[in-house]
Amino acid sequence: MKLLIVEDDATTGDYIAKGLREEGHVVDLVLDGKAGLIAATSTSYDVVILDRMLPEVDGMTVLKTLRGAGNKTPVLLLTALGDVDDRIEGLHAGADDYLAKPFVFGELSARVSALARRPQSIENEATLSAGDLEMNLIARKVTRAGQEIDLLPREFALLEHLLRRKGRVQTRTMLLEGVWDIGFDPGTNVVETHISRLRAKVDKPFGRELIETVRGAGYRIAQ
Amino acid sequence: MSGRVRRLWRSMPLRLALVLVALFAIVSLLSLAASYAVTQASFEESIRADLRQDLAGFRAAPNSRAVAVLVDAESREADPTRLILSYIGPDGRIYGNGAIAQDDAGFHIFSLDPERAQFAGDYLSLTDRLYGGIITIARSRAEIVALRDVFVNILLISLLPTVLIALSGGLILARRSKRHVDVVGNALDRMTSGDLAARVTVGPRWSDDLARIGAELNQMAAAQEAQMKALKGVSSDVAHDLKTPLQRVAVHLEELEKTVADQPEAREKVARTQREVQGMTQVFQSLLQLAQVEAGSPRSRFEKVDLAQLCATVVEVFEPAATASDHALSLEGATGPAVVQGDRALLGQLLSNLVENALRHSPEGSSVIVSLDPRERGWVLAVADDGPGIPPEEREKVMQRLYRLDRSRNTPGHGLGLSLVEAVATLHGAEVSLQDNGPGLRVEVAFGS
Repeated sequence: MKLLIVEDDATTGDYIAKGLREEGHVVDLVLDGKAGLIAATSTSYDVVILDRMLPEVDGMTVLKTLRGAGNKTPVLLLTALGDVDDRIEGLHAGADDYLAKPFVFGELSARVSALARRPQSIENEATLSAGDLEMNLIARKVTRAGQEIDLLPREFALLEHLLRRKGRVQTRTMLLEGVWDIGFDPGTNVVETHISRLRAKVDKPFGRELIETVRGAGYRIAQ
Repeated sequence: MSGRVRRLWRSMPLRLALVLVALFAIVSLLSLAASYAVTQASFEESIRADLRQDLAGFRAAPNSRAVAVLVDAESREADPTRLILSYIGPDGRIYGNGAIAQDDAGFHIFSLDPERAQFAGDYLSLTDRLYGGIITIARSRAEIVALRDVFVNILLISLLPTVLIALSGGLILARRSKRHVDVVGNALDRMTSGDLAARVTVGPRWSDDLARIGAELNQMAAAQEAQMKALKGVSSDVAHDLKTPLQRVAVHLEELEKTVADQPEAREKVARTQREVQGMTQVFQSLLQLAQVEAGSPRSRFEKVDLAQLCATVVEVFEPAATASDHALSLEGATGPAVVQGDRALLGQLLSNLVENALRHSPEGSSVIVSLDPRERGWVLAVADDGPGIPPEEREKVMQRLYRLDRSRNTPGHGLGLSLVEAVATLHGAEVSLQDNGPGLRVEVAFGS
């Protein structure tokens, strides 16, 4: 993927550029809004990572200018504030996602991959599968190695969410938003406990781990 | 009377118009009454003068016979409804067209004409002794009675249109001023519900005082808006200046983590530092959120929120965590929709904080009950546990920022959870109270309608 990072803090900018390059992306890094605007309009990127507070031209202006010019490149907005007001304002101005500082690299990487795959095709499949696990969306049944697994509705939804995004990391906040439609922070370990319950049913009896933990980021079902 | 009419009725211009109408009516009445009294007195005086002159005429007669002839002659000519003449001669005979009699009710004038028994109407009379007899002359007061009717007519003709004009004028003015006051009221409503950009649009036909109030309100709103902007600017500057270094620390730690991957002791230290940084970030984030909520800015984003559905979601989200820490978490009360106007994310945060607090501060084996009950107007949301509770003297203090009970010093948390609960509740016009759950703590959030 070809990515543009517009970030004035050199330490943060260099670090995420390096991390994303290690993941195999092509990354351009610019340090102010003006350069960001020029880069974003002259080159085609898969995702733009845009800091909100920038010298020269601030992030919101860059975003509004891009959208005003009909540029539809997915934009991930980085901000120091991270409050709800700010988030709404950002999304309103045309940001596709939003990440509050300080963040860990895993979260950023997961969100960038999620953005790059937009728009998600609405898959009308009847079954989802991963390895020897199969989910029947019509009968709402899950089997692994031919054995039926009894799941509660929300466990089913959680597993479905991960299966539909096979190979992509889902962070805590992405799961809370996607599975429970929650835009607030319900405390430290609620997602972990839901995952461990799901694992107890889906992974434990079969001895082979399907749901992976990605350290510092979230969870993933391997491709 | 409908509310609209009642409000109009109580408006200032209409009340002024009514007071003016009343004043005008009273003054008109008084002046007309006074002129009536004066005119009536002068009329009566002139009638009395006529009577005296009549009497003087009869006195000019030389003897009682002559008087009797004169009275008879004149009374034949006179209309008894206007003039009554009566002479009781020294011999007791009655001459004229009437006679005076007295009974319990007073004096009456009788007709001597057998066809008319008694005269109707008011008369002014003069009686005197003349040549051994008694002469009585009475003139009708009909003109004075007619005068009263004339005055009543004048009063009606002059007063009625005035009252009608003043009333309708007052109504028109009242409606106009109501429209103007409504403009001010609407702007105020929007300002208080968080729309700081709301302004009063002063119309060209506004009265000076209202226009001045409007202008001053606008000034106030502009000042407040500027202040909020400045405050937001400061908090975003502070956030930026503090979070950028925090971000750098996080970056350095992640890099360090990779370089010490093969040294378990160093890796453990890095992990611990990362947790500390995370804690700092959380406190910082909570403080920012608290400041934002307390500034009351996001009320413009309120939407309909179903508290019952929110409770169900939060209980469901926390249930595995509660089970893992050996707590029984359950939901009681309303299952149907319990809709309030609010910010869903903030209300969810409020409930999460309460549930997390209850789980954190009650020992293993405790039960935590989230309940939602209707009350007269609105809903009571409560989170109750059967843990150690909070002593009454400490209940006030736990709402303060960063305050922690002595026994909770070693449990995780940063002492901002309840402050945020209170700030969010206040933003929603709800009241938080901490109660004894006997044993344990019950936190109630009472939402109005």
